Amino acid sequence: MTQAEIKLCSLLLQEHFGEIVEKIGVHLIRTGSQPLRVIAHDTGTSLDQVKKALCVLIQHNLVIYQVHKRGVVEYEAQCNRVLRMLRYPRYIYTAKTLYSDTGELIVEELLLNGKMTMSAVVKKVADRLTETMEDGKTMDYAEVSNTFVRLVDTHFVQRCPLVPATENSDTGPPPPAPTLVVSEKDMYLVPKLSLIGKGKRRRSSDEDATGEPKAKRPKQTTDNKEPIPDDGIYWQANLDRFHQHFRDQAIVSAVANRMDQTSSEIVRTMLRMSEVTTPSGAPFTQPLSSNEIFRSLPVGYNISKQVLDQYLTLLADDPLEFVGKSGDSGGGMYVINLHKALGSLATATLESVVQERFGSRCARIFRLVLQKKHLEQKQVEDFAMIPAKEAKDMLYKMLSENFISLQVGCL
Amino acid sequence: MAEVKVKVQPPDADPVEIENRIIELCHQFPHGITDQVIQNEMPHIEAQQRAVAINRLLSMGQLDLLRSNTGLLYRIKDSQNAGKMKGSDNQEKLVYQIIEDAGNKGIWSRDIRYKSNLPLTEINKILKNLESKKLIKAVKSVAASKKKVYMLYNLQPDRSVTGGAWYSDQDFESEFVEVLNQQCFKFLQTKAETARESKQNPMIQRNSSFASSHEVWKYICELGISKVELSMEDIETILNTLIYDGKVEMTIIAAKEGTVGSVDGHMKLYRAVSPIIPPTGLVRAPCGLCPVFDDCHEGGEISPSNCIYMTEWLEF
Repeated sequence: MTQAEIKLCSLLLQEHFGEIVEKIGVHLIRTGSQPLRVIAHDTGTSLDQVKKALCVLIQHNLVIYQVHKRGVVEYEAQCNRVLRMLRYPRYIYTAKTLYSDTGELIVEELLLNGKMTMSAVVKKVADRLTETMEDGKTMDYAEVSNTFVRLVDTHFVQRCPLVPATENSDTGPPPPAPTLVVSEKDMYLVPKLSLIGKGKRRRSSDEDATGEPKAKRPKQTTDNKEPIPDDGIYWQANLDRFHQHFRDQAIVSAVANRMDQTSSEIVRTMLRMSEVTTPSGAPFTQPLSSNEIFRSLPVGYNISKQVLDQYLTLLADDPLEFVGKSGDSGGGMYVINLHKALGSLATATLESVVQERFGSRCARIFRLVLQKKHLEQKQVEDFAMIPAKEAKDMLYKMLSENFISLQVGCL
Repeated sequence: MAEVKVKVQPPDADPVEIENRIIELCHQFPHGITDQVIQNEMPHIEAQQRAVAINRLLSMGQLDLLRSNTGLLYRIKDSQNAGKMKGSDNQEKLVYQIIEDAGNKGIWSRDIRYKSNLPLTEINKILKNLESKKLIKAVKSVAASKKKVYMLYNLQPDRSVTGGAWYSDQDFESEFVEVLNQQCFKFLQTKAETARESKQNPMIQRNSSFASSHEVWKYICELGISKVELSMEDIETILNTLIYDGKVEMTIIAAKEGTVGSVDGHMKLYRAVSPIIPPTGLVRAPCGLCPVFDDCHEGGEISPSNCIYMTEWLEF
């Protein structure tokens, strides 16, 4: 971790959680993994406060723990995860664009609280939404639950790992720290809850919301009185899924810039279909047949199957190589070439930096060297058609700022 | 009566005859003949007589002596040249030979010295001599403006020496290149726009937005902005610079031999494109363009909190 990153983490922790958490957090980032007593000793804070600070950090997934041999539990801070806190507004905004205000508030609550149960989230969000609505209107729990389930189905929200249920608990003294697991198939499994109720305004009394009798469950006046049905099942925001979404957005806008709106919509459809089936690090999406794509196009788009096929062929033939054809069954099987797409976007970003920083002629030389890999001084002048003196000047400027490197070869 | 030993002279043992026969053979095989061929033709001639004849022909400048992988070759010398070199001595002929071999790229005086092993003063004298006889000429090279290369008088200098269409008198014409660059780009841009607005099915739209290098060449020639005649390769170098500018993309398609503009069975097509991302975030903030980026840190003289660029930018 660089000094600048540590400083940034410290500022973030201080702003969100306060001084004590900041002290413990930064200490852990600087020194790596340490047991509880050592942390308390080195930072000079009382054991009690250290415990509380660690609780907060673990709740927000910023610190993980591991049981080492001889029963020592060590805590390790995740610096990268702390830096992700900078992106919270962007995640919340994304949820807003996809699932409107309800989605926005659900994600906001999850991010601010680290982990929550579904019923708690639904209740809180319903209350908040009811605050903003007109007098007399309330937000139904069912609607909030629906949005929550949709968020889980598209993997934006996932289950937290939990203590595995053990059959017999008499195998000896319990371990010093529980190991939490969650199985793949359970990660996005929503428990069957019937949350019935409506959001409450803070100033309204209990009678308003309890107008209609609810058959199955007693009125939820306070949550302390009855057991929460999904106790122990906690949910957190799945940051990797948001990152995948940003990646998809970048690819779609690149296609829109290079080709036209319709092509970008087709690519967006293809990416949407592969959202949950393709792992995030994969080089290609799953092959999709042209028939499937045709069926999944957004409702407003009425282009004929023939035109769709033409667009797909054009996309597959384009020098950009974002889309590839992998077979002919089902009207043609197409994949999105994710690694190539990301590579092209990265190259374009580099070229943009050079262009803005040094000028378009330097950008020409930079692109030239990027394409041809190795060039001699004279070849650079010839290909780029820039007079020798200027070309030399530009090359040395870029060399001095480390954008280009020199390789001495023997003749 | 004393026995007179008369050596029977074979009929054409006359040295002049031998030489003429050799010259005839050389004319028959303009690429050169080996010693073996001469021997086969005139088997009755002894090796020594053959050698004498060949040497005479060489010294008279009627034959050329070449070395090939199989051995020595004798070739008839161009009669015109043979006339020219009359009156020159062997050294001059050697230097002339070296310059001739260099073709239209020309050869530097130092290289002539290496190849002929003659001292510098001799070389200079010979070169002056040949120049005054209008047999060779000196051409200034664009690569190194002080260097002069020598080549035969009637040869056109190669592009690598004069720089081709982009150099006039050793000066690179950047404005000319810029103008051509912009004109080509405008042509391709308008073509792409008309294709886009035609609103036909996407295949036709795409194909009509392409222009072959031949089309661009014709357009530029008709524009008449160039005083020098430009070839299709020249236009292709200009189009390549547009590719390095990221404004144009190229595809190569297979074309039938004989279609206009195809070279070796394929054609290059060019199309104007827009960049795939807008200027990236880092350079839209002042830090991306800041000249003192490396010196900036919190608490120092140059820091984010007292950055003047940042203050200006945030005031929008």
